[in-house]
Amino acid sequence: MRKLSSVEELKDFRQRILEERKLQYPRPTLVVCAGTGGQASGSNDVVRVIKRYIIDRGLQAKIGLRVTGCQGFCEMDPFIVVEPGRHLYPKLKMEDIPRVIEAAVGGFVDESLIYQEPQIDRRYHNQEDIPFFKKQQRTILGYNQKLDPIRVFNYIEEGGYAAAEKILIHPDPQWIIGEVIKSELRGRGGAGFPTGKKWELARSSGNGSDQKYIVCNADEGDPGAYMDRSLLEGNPHAIIEGMLIAGFAIGATRGIIYVRSEYPLAIKHTIIALRQARDLGLLGKDILGTGIDFDIEIVRGAGAFVCGEETALIKSVEGRMGEPRQRPPYPIEKGIHGHPTCINNVETLANISVIIDRGAEAYARVGVEGNRGTKIFSLVGKIKNTGLVEVPLGIKISEVVYDIGGGAPGKAKIKAVQTGGPSGGCIPARLFDLPIDYDSLVQAGSIMGSGGMIVMDEDTCMVDVARYFMAFLKEESCGKCFTCRKGTQRMYEILDDISRGRATMKDLDLLEELAHVVKDTTMCGLGQSASNPVLSTLRYFREEYERHIKDKKCDAFVCKELVGAPCQAACPLGTEAWRYVAYIGRGEYEEAYHAIREANPFPSVCARVCHHPCEEKCRAGATGGNPVAIRALKRFVTDRIEPSVYRPEKEVWNHGEPPRVAIIGSGPAGLTAAHYLSIKGCQVTVFEAENRPGGMLSCVIPSYRLPREVIEKEIASLIDENITLKCGTALGQEISVDGLFEDGFGAVLLAIGAHKSKPLRLENENLEGVYPSIEFLKAFNVRNEHLGKGHVGVIGGGNSAIDAARMALRHQDVDSVTILYRRTRDEMPAFPEEIEAAVQEGIRIQTLVSPLRIVGEDGRVTGVECIHNELGEADDSGRRRPIPLPETEQVIALDTLIVAIGEDSGVDALTPARSSGIEITGWNTVRANPETLLTNRPGVFAAGDVWRGPNTVVEAIADGKKAASVIERFLKKEPLVQPRTPQLPRIHVEPGEAAGEEGQNGRVETPRAPADWRRRNFSEVEVALSVDEARREASRCLRCDLEFTTPGEKSEAEPETRRQTA
Amino acid sequence: MITLTINGLELTVEEGTTLLEAARFLGFPVPTLCHMEGLTPYGACRLCVVEIGEGVGAKLVTSCTHPVQEGLKVRTASARVVKARKMILELLLASCPQSKVIQDLASAHEVRQQRFRQEYEDCILCGLCVRMCEEQMMAKAIGFRGRGENRSIGTPFDIKSEVCRQCGGCIYVCPACSLRCTYNEPEKAICGGCANLSPPCTEKDGFDDMMCYMEPCVACEIDKNKQSEKTEATT
Repeated sequence: MRKLSSVEELKDFRQRILEERKLQYPRPTLVVCAGTGGQASGSNDVVRVIKRYIIDRGLQAKIGLRVTGCQGFCEMDPFIVVEPGRHLYPKLKMEDIPRVIEAAVGGFVDESLIYQEPQIDRRYHNQEDIPFFKKQQRTILGYNQKLDPIRVFNYIEEGGYAAAEKILIHPDPQWIIGEVIKSELRGRGGAGFPTGKKWELARSSGNGSDQKYIVCNADEGDPGAYMDRSLLEGNPHAIIEGMLIAGFAIGATRGIIYVRSEYPLAIKHTIIALRQARDLGLLGKDILGTGIDFDIEIVRGAGAFVCGEETALIKSVEGRMGEPRQRPPYPIEKGIHGHPTCINNVETLANISVIIDRGAEAYARVGVEGNRGTKIFSLVGKIKNTGLVEVPLGIKISEVVYDIGGGAPGKAKIKAVQTGGPSGGCIPARLFDLPIDYDSLVQAGSIMGSGGMIVMDEDTCMVDVARYFMAFLKEESCGKCFTCRKGTQRMYEILDDISRGRATMKDLDLLEELAHVVKDTTMCGLGQSASNPVLSTLRYFREEYERHIKDKKCDAFVCKELVGAPCQAACPLGTEAWRYVAYIGRGEYEEAYHAIREANPFPSVCARVCHHPCEEKCRAGATGGNPVAIRALKRFVTDRIEPSVYRPEKEVWNHGEPPRVAIIGSGPAGLTAAHYLSIKGCQVTVFEAENRPGGMLSCVIPSYRLPREVIEKEIASLIDENITLKCGTALGQEISVDGLFEDGFGAVLLAIGAHKSKPLRLENENLEGVYPSIEFLKAFNVRNEHLGKGHVGVIGGGNSAIDAARMALRHQDVDSVTILYRRTRDEMPAFPEEIEAAVQEGIRIQTLVSPLRIVGEDGRVTGVECIHNELGEADDSGRRRPIPLPETEQVIALDTLIVAIGEDSGVDALTPARSSGIEITGWNTVRANPETLLTNRPGVFAAGDVWRGPNTVVEAIADGKKAASVIERFLKKEPLVQPRTPQLPRIHVEPGEAAGEEGQNGRVETPRAPADWRRRNFSEVEVALSVDEARREASRCLRCDLEFTTPGEKSEAEPETRRQTA
Repeated sequence: MITLTINGLELTVEEGTTLLEAARFLGFPVPTLCHMEGLTPYGACRLCVVEIGEGVGAKLVTSCTHPVQEGLKVRTASARVVKARKMILELLLASCPQSKVIQDLASAHEVRQQRFRQEYEDCILCGLCVRMCEEQMMAKAIGFRGRGENRSIGTPFDIKSEVCRQCGGCIYVCPACSLRCTYNEPEKAICGGCANLSPPCTEKDGFDDMMCYMEPCVACEIDKNKQSEKTEATT
């Protein structure tokens, strides 16, 4: 390379390159992203395959290849962009590459490989149209795609060093500083100090020394942040040019790039770039013959996080221990070896050549007042499109997360985003309308930082997040100042205690107090912001902390010592699912039944209708595979073991005369409470309004899901000598709360369920043929009436809508069933497997329609007029709101209409309660304390749907269980609230033989009766597993419990005697 | 010359004076652990924080390192300063309860509880010994190693130093390891109430062989608090 000796020569040089290139174009070029991220995903192999293919086929003249730094779309690595059409081929396999090359040479697009949006099945031919790129403004990062970082020609061709040219023709430092001030560029390292102002201070800072330094701070250490790295890797000349301009502006002749040794590729590319710049005469003595001297050297940091702090960085450059010192004096006055030193972030310097080249005014047009230009963020965490994004400042967080990032990758909702690395804070999803700028983020309790953006969803525990960052900071604190060193250690200690369930509310106060003091009293930026993770999570997610401390629960299922085995923790009853699954694996079915029955008095019922939260949280599923089919295994056990094998030991009431307890309602909540109170020695009377017990189980849940005889058998096993069952006795008719107390009952439990469907409140709702879903289901289940006729419409998307629809389908005179739902199938609250089963049976689901009015003729329904919807913004429930589309009204002809839009206990059922002085909420539920289930009237408790609103069977059972223990304490005059302890696996079950490979041994399919057979009768749909299936399925369990138990411990009582059943 | 106000009093001092010197010149007490005349200010213990500036711009700075500035308004004992100092002392007690210097400071600042998990360390890494060795003894025998929770003071690679003259300067300046509290089995960090030379503590059981000069005696203060709480509860 010939050294250029004047600015003119540089211009000529650029001209020559451009002309040469013109001769080569147009020919398609393959652009391969080969930053560190790309290389990790295999882009080096891609390059190798491409080269070999081109050479083998002799395509050198027909196609070009450019290997670039990181282009930002790291989720899709390794990918190839084919220019000039900018077709993006993502996640390439080596065998597909020849097809991409052939398509590029042939000038067409390979439709099967081109980028497509995963869900909406749409292909994008041009990279610019892809949602990930569409909202970005890639002023800085865009160059990464246009040039090969190790070829200075590329950079010059793209207009590189034009800004340097400009300032060398008219060397005027004041003008440069003026431009940078006008551009309102703020430091991209995080604090956002105006760059122009810094330079002005640096220029005027004399300090009596002849030497000044400009330092490029590339000590990027935030976990999950890699934009500085990508800039140095992908476009090192831009940094060099920026430093050259900065150096000239402040009067520095020496520049230092402080980069961490962990960035080998960045160092390599920077070294190459520096050599090229020196060879061209763009660095060194007498740059381009203008008499200006400037040179840059690289200093490699050893990787201490604190060395990104400017005073610590200076110490490190000087070769001393990297620890900060108290400012003032600032480095601008007293920096490296006492000389004035101006330290700028990589990204700040990358912006300089753009400002100088295009002019400050053009630059300042982007962004918002006080926050100009673009900023690069590394978008990572629980997000679909991981990668680097460059957006104008002032853009909303939601645009970055949802539009560019594509939202959550899985089912869990996005909860928060963490910005600014370990010293940043978490911003909750409800504040996602916040504009991303330096000041708004600080106000929200976070910082911009260098631009890390970690997205978190509901499976992220905020206590654990704070704990993680604090663990990082306590390691990375230099330890010089006491409050930072000990403060971070102590904060970690308390956070660790909280995550292990050992902390008290006092510790939480202490944590907050300490966090404020640490923020106030530490020496450098690291310490001052070290409290941010704690303070911001406390500010927005305090209830999560309190849940850890008071309830000993981690709702994200992260904090291991609170969760234990996730299946157990997820179960409202605390059933040791791991335990019975383990027994099944060993063939010990009776033990398995005991494990189930100890926690749950309705095992056979739950084996059929439970919504199995245990499976949702099963680690086998959370780690990418399929969860263990726990409910099917429960069914397997309960089908082959008689309830009579379980005989709970009855206690004798030793607090005087056994008390009498009245339970109103014999549903799962009421009977569960009765059962556990009976065990404790209480005399229980259960009052039931219908003529048979079971509540919702027998009146509403269809028999094809839950056969009547199963309910009857299970209930019969619970009724004992301590329980008196009185059917046909309703509250407000035969009995009253006051009357029960007068009769000598010590406590009353309201468990009357939610038996009233909510009305649509539309015109003509009282027409014949319009039925509330519960009434419709009850009519059949209780009185065996077939109310469905002809074409049946069901309005609603919940479980009772599906139940009603599937039930209607089985009625004699029904021709077809259509479910009308106002959102899409994804938003339906019903259990997915129920929806699936309904569809299999031939039920049509029409989504995005809302009813307007009911149409009738001669007093009978003939149809329903509906309007079509589209989905708008998410509402409070996190689901997208349906918005009616004007003029899309349509009458759907129907013979029967079932309304299933929700249930409550009904005004009639609650009136007697209200008249006994019990408070009723506006939602037609009884108000009860969630901790104690106590209503406002002493001695009266509530359990199940009557206070929760419509909910699942297992929640009702859990309520009944809780009510029993609270009532027991109430009767013994003990405090109702008991301190909680985490439910951890305690009993050791020796593991059987391990399962085979997941591939050969996937989750067992729950056997179902064939759809065309089952749709015409009321027999049970699901079938139990076979022994082989069950044992194989059980062996898939990851046995999370083994971490908490030791083989030596006493295991289950007398295991030998009971092991025959196998 | 530079004029500033400390706790409302105006003062004119030479340029280059630190806030600590200025405050002490006026007689305002500012506690320190890592500061010593004749050694470079270090700013590690953070006890000497004072509040400067006003409104939203108000902040805490270490007075031992902060130079005086024209027109600066300094508060050496504002609520924010006191709160911070008490927390720092609580942290110190939690780590290093056997230092009499720390116990005395805590006592003087009315720290009556220690809520962290108790540790027994003998070094607060104030760096006095390191600076003493380097700046006054010209030996540079000891220095800092490691960072964060692994930071410690010692000779390079823990090899016996060839430059150490065993002058004892390091021990002389140490606020933590000299003047060790002799209380044998401290169950909690707050001084269990070593025998004040004056009664009533000498009369208490188990404190016969103690030698401590704490003023006021923390044990007695705590005792008093408990007494008054009891009377409040009963009335």
